[in-house]
This record gives sequence, structure tokens and C-alpha cells, in this order.
Amino acid sequence: MKPKVAFFDFTSCEGCQLNKLNLENDLLDILKHVDIVEFREAMDDKADHYDIAFIEGSISSPSCVERIHDIRRRSSFLVALGACAVSGGVNAMKNLHPIDQVRETVYGDDKYLFATLPAMAVSAVVKVDYEVRGCPMTQQDFLKLLIALVLGKQPQKYNSPVCVECKLKENECLYNRGMVCLGPITRGGCDAICPSFGQFCTGCRGILDNPNLSGMLDLMTNHGISLDEAKKRMLLFNANEVQL
Amino acid sequence: MECFSLLRSDVPAFIDHLGGFGEVVAPHSKGEVSYTFEVVKDSSQVILDYNRTLLPLKKMFLPPVETMLNFSLKDASFTPVEIEISPRLFFGVHSYEMQSILRLDHSMLSGKVESNYFRRRQSSRFVGISFHPDEFHFSESVGITIEEMEGFDLFLNEIEGDFQVYVLSKNGAALLKGFEYIESTNPEVIEGRSFKKKIRYHYNRLPRVFQYAYNSPIWAEVASRCVGCGACTLTCPTCFCFDVNDEVTVTAEDGMRQRSWDSCMLAAFAEVAGGENFREKTSNRTRHRLFRKFKYITDEEGLPWCVGCGRCTAFCPAGISLPDIVNELIGEDEKAQLPRSVRV
Amino acid sequence: MKRLQDVESHEAVDLYFPTMCKVTGAKQITDMEKWYELEMPNGQSLGHSPGQFVEVSAFGIGEAPISVSSSPSKHSSFELCIRQVGMLTNVLKKYKQGDVLGIRGPFGKGYPMEKLFGKDILVVAGGIGLVPLRSLINYVLDNRKDFGRLIILYGAKTPSELLFQEELAEWTSRDDVELHITVDRGDASWKGHVGVITTLIPTLDLQTSTTIAAITGPPVMYKFVVMSLKSKQLPDDQIYLSLERRMKCGVGKCGHCQINGVYCCQDGPVFNYSDIKPLAEAL
Repeated sequence: MKPKVAFFDFTSCEGCQLNKLNLENDLLDILKHVDIVEFREAMDDKADHYDIAFIEGSISSPSCVERIHDIRRRSSFLVALGACAVSGGVNAMKNLHPIDQVRETVYGDDKYLFATLPAMAVSAVVKVDYEVRGCPMTQQDFLKLLIALVLGKQPQKYNSPVCVECKLKENECLYNRGMVCLGPITRGGCDAICPSFGQFCTGCRGILDNPNLSGMLDLMTNHGISLDEAKKRMLLFNANEVQL
Repeated sequence: MECFSLLRSDVPAFIDHLGGFGEVVAPHSKGEVSYTFEVVKDSSQVILDYNRTLLPLKKMFLPPVETMLNFSLKDASFTPVEIEISPRLFFGVHSYEMQSILRLDHSMLSGKVESNYFRRRQSSRFVGISFHPDEFHFSESVGITIEEMEGFDLFLNEIEGDFQVYVLSKNGAALLKGFEYIESTNPEVIEGRSFKKKIRYHYNRLPRVFQYAYNSPIWAEVASRCVGCGACTLTCPTCFCFDVNDEVTVTAEDGMRQRSWDSCMLAAFAEVAGGENFREKTSNRTRHRLFRKFKYITDEEGLPWCVGCGRCTAFCPAGISLPDIVNELIGEDEKAQLPRSVRV
Repeated sequence: MKRLQDVESHEAVDLYFPTMCKVTGAKQITDMEKWYELEMPNGQSLGHSPGQFVEVSAFGIGEAPISVSSSPSKHSSFELCIRQVGMLTNVLKKYKQGDVLGIRGPFGKGYPMEKLFGKDILVVAGGIGLVPLRSLINYVLDNRKDFGRLIILYGAKTPSELLFQEELAEWTSRDDVELHITVDRGDASWKGHVGVITTLIPTLDLQTSTTIAAITGPPVMYKFVVMSLKSKQLPDDQIYLSLERRMKCGVGKCGHCQINGVYCCQDGPVFNYSDIKPLAEAL
């Protein structure tokens, strides 16, 4: 029997889910391996149990917490999809400010009508088995994980910086073009897609294990940006992951 | 040694002529300020004055990513990827780059012969070119002059904008056959090309320095600035470490086994399946990198395994300089030899 | 320096293509370890020496270095015993009789048997360290007259983690094997020795001039076992250790298994202690 697969979205732009719908070329191959039983963006069906639940978005309200617990109870494997689900992503930038101030800025006088929590990674609330990083997650990465699960192998975890793939493609280093890039401390696996197109890395796949953050801040300021700006860049996707 | 003069304006015609031998690979522009070795499609695009390419010429013999075999999961079988042996000519190669290939030969052909490397390396010809050292080149400090011609079949030495072509092997002489725009001449000695960056000691004194450098505090100091991106080793022409991964296609029925360049500067490089990491600290990895260049193979072969191309330094986003590290180790070693009372 | 012209083209044999071997036996022997028996194609023999390893390859997953666990005196097939700790080894647990596994090797240096003949052999095995040492033990037993005493010290965390229990029982019953087993933590039915493996060493009666020690175990074990053996006055060059590193290619090229300037997959995994004593990264 094919594994039953479902997709759920929480606080996010739903870009990761859209990204999957764009997999036209591979969609039929994927459906050979799995049954998609729930996918709000693409269909209406519902199911009671899921072999693999894919979660997009961060957890940022009491109702999110309730819902993710419910999904977890009905899922054999739970996979966090994309930066928001894996670490809180850009949503977590709000955690850098007092929560009342955030609510007032967003909802104004209606702030008491909307309960809110700091934006959390899914793994901060329930057990997460696997993760697909990136904003948005890449289709390649998603397929690799899916195939790994179908084959019953541990999906590969990346702990090499973006620079590795960038160097292997013989890209000109963006620091040599006067840009400040987060590639050296950002988890790779993205095929260095941004630097390959001349866009500096913003750290969407998260920071490496045991990063040299002070060395990285020195490096960035030595390339002409202020310490404040350097910290902001580092926090853009990783407010929940780094303490500066 | 036979020597001919060649006008700069005739070089594209010369490259076209060399194309008669086989595929010609030469330096081209890349990005805004960089260079790369590429197969020549239009000889007028070849760059004769360049500082260094982003990736070393090694990439032509050990590709950054290489498929070793294709497999089928259905019946657990595989088909080997055959490597075509075709004549290739590498044009516009600097002396340190040639020396790096000779060192790679040693690393790849000693012990068990690395067959993929051997096949690609066979039937290759090298045409060297002189260069103007920039602030990162330091190959003279590791015993490689601008005009070091070992390994080349032909060498183009720049003289006031034009070139003298030295014939260095029978193969080189054969390459010149039928090319009309050259004239026999006497080799001239060129002066005034000098290296700005230097290691303070002659390279034959470095093994001693490294013998006492293992527990130096300098490794931790360098590690405090290193962010662990791996650029130094991934662009090094004498590094050859690789990793192997199996990629499965979306059908989950077949796939390929690929190897790709790896770096001993990356955190997980020496980690085993049980989780034990035998080189856990950045300082340990920095030390290993330098010892690979100046101690381990050097002890056996008597030559530094660094060719002074300057890539690790030029491409380090943190600005860590290999010659500076070596000079600091030298300074520390000198200090350690002074009487205790006068050490600062 | 070795030059291109020094190499004959026939030396350039393919290093990275596995030989497909048939699994002729498979058995889960503890919670974590599974034993396999494999056959080379066309009745070939693996031709290994005790202490050597092979790269086991499952397509789609990858390769991992695994010690050969059977004695070279067994020609028709060879045995592996694999602990499920990594991506590949976790997938391998599904392999059963009749399946096909890729093998490259045997690789590396095993025990220099010519130096072991006529000597008393002291085997010190911690945990899965018994796997490669079982190859040595069975080789000694198959050629029993060529060796002096065979003393085996074997330590496991708990009684349920003891490997090859049938063979342990057989070795216990033989009067030409001195087997001492210890566990870190006993259980209700355990009546044997409790304590780390070094606690077995002080009471040993060793003839230091004729004893060769062979040690394999988790990384943390080596220093302490060597220390204990040194206090028994065993000379450095009579101690052999088998080290574990990330031997990815097995042929001295990929660089992952380097211990200072030495390739574990080429110069090891079995090393003479006097050779690795100066290497800071070894123990």
C-alpha cells in the first residue's frame, strides 16, 4: 500500500506548497509512490491518519498549537517544510520586539481580538522527524526527502556551507563583487542557487551547526557594512537560531 | 633549447593551430574580475594576462562532481561510466599550476592508481605562459619561479608584450610543426618580474618549523577568524579529497553514484557513523590543512605540497593568509629558540 | 615524486566498482547487530587477512567500511557483522538471504600473521571490536598448532550485547582458549565479571617476551588498555590496534580517514602501537 501523505499550512506565505504544485514534470512519478490525502491548496479530501504529514509555516498562535498537536497525533512521520516550519523563518523577526508592540503595530486598536505567540519552529511544539530547509524549500530537496522516505533511508542532513556548492560551480565569489553574502555560515544543499544568479545568500536554510558567529560578524564588517547591519542580515531568517 | 619568437597578435592563430592536436583548454574571463579554464571556442576570447583562475586546472582531471556509475535499484545492478580518452591541450598555464598537476600525479598515482585521473591525464599537452605576480602569488617561496618549465611541452615567455616560445619536449616540437608565424631566435633573460608576497624562510627550512608547530597557539588564533567555508581547500590545486553520494531519481528505480570535492576544513569531514568526530575543532582542521601542505607529504617527497598560487588567500572571505600563518609560525619558532629571559 | 610515465596503463584498474555478492545467510544477533554471510561470484575467495575491511555498498544509500569477521581459512564465503548506527547500516538490516550486496576490497593492512606465528596471542575486544578480532581468533583456532596461548578478553556494556554467544560458549569449553568476559553492567542472571575491560588485565599471567596483543574497541578504550598492558611490561611493538576512521574510498584517495599524515585505510586499520604512538590524532 502506498503511504498516505498530507500537507498542512500554518503561518507562512504558502510559497513552499505552491512550489510543490509546480513539480509538473515529476508529479506523476511522485504519485506512483504516495497517495496525497490532504492538500488544502490543491484538493478537498480529508483523512484520519497520515503516514507522512508535511507542515509548512511557523507556529504563532494558540490555535496553531492545538492544531499541530492534533496533526502530530494522527501522523506517523512529521516533516517540517521550509524555513518558517523548520526554524520560524522570517516570521521569527517579530520575536526580537516586545509582543505587545508587535500586536499594536499589526492590529492597531483591534489587538486584543487576536491572540498571538512568538513565531516558533514546529519542532518547538511537537516532535519533528525530518526537515526540508529553505525559503522556499527547493523542489529538488523535497523530492530527495520523499524518495529517501519511500526507500526507507535516512534523509541526508546538510551541514556544509553554501560556499561548497558555490565553489564547485566555479562561481565568482560575491565578496569579490563587493557584496556581503551569508554563504560561509549558511547550511547548503540549495546548489548555491542565489549566488549563482548574482544574489548574495540571505541565510534562508539556517545557520550551520557550531558556527563561528563572531568571526562572521568581523568578516562582514570588514567588507564594509556596519555591525548593526551585519546582525540584521544574520537574523533575517535566523532570529530563533542565533543569539547575537 | 629551441626558441622562437611569436607576436602577441598571432597568438589566436597559434591557438587555432594547436586545435589540430585536440581540444584546447585555456583561461577565459569569468564574472566581473575572475578567470576560469574553459574549452576554447573562439581563440580571440582567450586571456593571456590573468592572475589566477577561480578553480585550478585540477578540475579537468578530477571534475568537481563526477558520476562514477549508474545503478538500478530493481535488480541491484550497475553500469560503469566509461571515461573517454581524448587528446587535450592546456594552453596558457602558469608554472605553479603545472607544478600542482605534477604533485597531483604523485598523489593520484602512488599506491593504488586512481584510474579515472590516469585516463584523463594521459595524452594531455601543456603550453605554459609567464605571469606577473600579484599581491597573493608566492610560488617563488615554495621553489617555483615564473619561468619554471618542468612539465610543459611549450612555454610562452612574455618579452615586452610579445612572446618567446621555448620548445621543451618532442611533443612540443610536434605541436609547432606547420605553424608559420614564428621565427627562430635566441632565448633572452627577463628581469624585473618579482614576487611581492614571500615566506620568510627558504622552503627547505619549513619542515623544521612545522616539526615544532603542532601545539602552537597560532592555530586557535587563525580559527577564531575562520568561518569554516572551505574555500581555501576547495580552490587549492593540490587538494584532492572527495566525498561519495548516491543520488536516486524521482522514479525511485535508478540513480547514480557521484563523487564531489570535499574539504578537510568542513566540520563533518572526519566524523564517523557512530558520531565520533576525530577533528572536531576548527583549529585542528586549520592545522591539518597546513600540515598537509608543508609536513606530511613534504616529509616523504622533500617538496612543499603548496605551489604558491595564492588561491586559498585570495579567495578567503575572512582574509586569512597562508603565507602570513607560515611567517607567524616561523616567528614563533625563532622566539622559542631565544633564551627564556629575552622572550617577549 | 611519482611521475605519470612511471605508471603502466594496466595498473590503472577501476577502484570504485563493487563486486556483487550474494547474501547466503543473515541473522540479527543482538538488538543492534546483524550477522551476514556472503559469497563472491563464481566461487572466488575474498582473499583477505584478519583485520582487513571491505566497503559494503547498497545502491541508493552509499558505502561504509565494514570489518571482515570470518577467518581467511574459510574460503567459500565470508562473514560480516554490522552494527546499525548510520544511514547505510540502518538500511542493511533489511537485507536477507538471497539479496545482493556490493563489496569493494578487501582493503588495508590486517595483522602481520608471519610475526604472530609461534607467539601467545592476547586478544582485547571491546563491544563490536570483537567483529574484526573474531577473524583473527578463528584463524588462530584453525591453525592452533602454529600459535602459543590464546587469551581473549572481551567486554560489552550489558550481557544482552554480547556478540557471537554460541562461539563464546564453544571457546569457553575449549581448554586451549583462555576466555575472560566482562560487562559494564550485569543483569539478574549475570554471574560473570562486572567492570570495564581493563579490570581483567592486572591479574593476567603473561609471558611478556612471547605475547602479542591485538586490541579493538571504541575509541575511548585504547588509551586505557595500552596503559594497562604497559604496566605489564609489554613492549610497544608487541601491541597491535585496529582503528576506526571514516574510510570512505578505502584506497587512500578521498582523505577522510587520515590520522595526521597516515591513511587509516592504507597503513591500517591495524597498526603497530610503536608506529602510531607519535601520532597525536591516533588515540
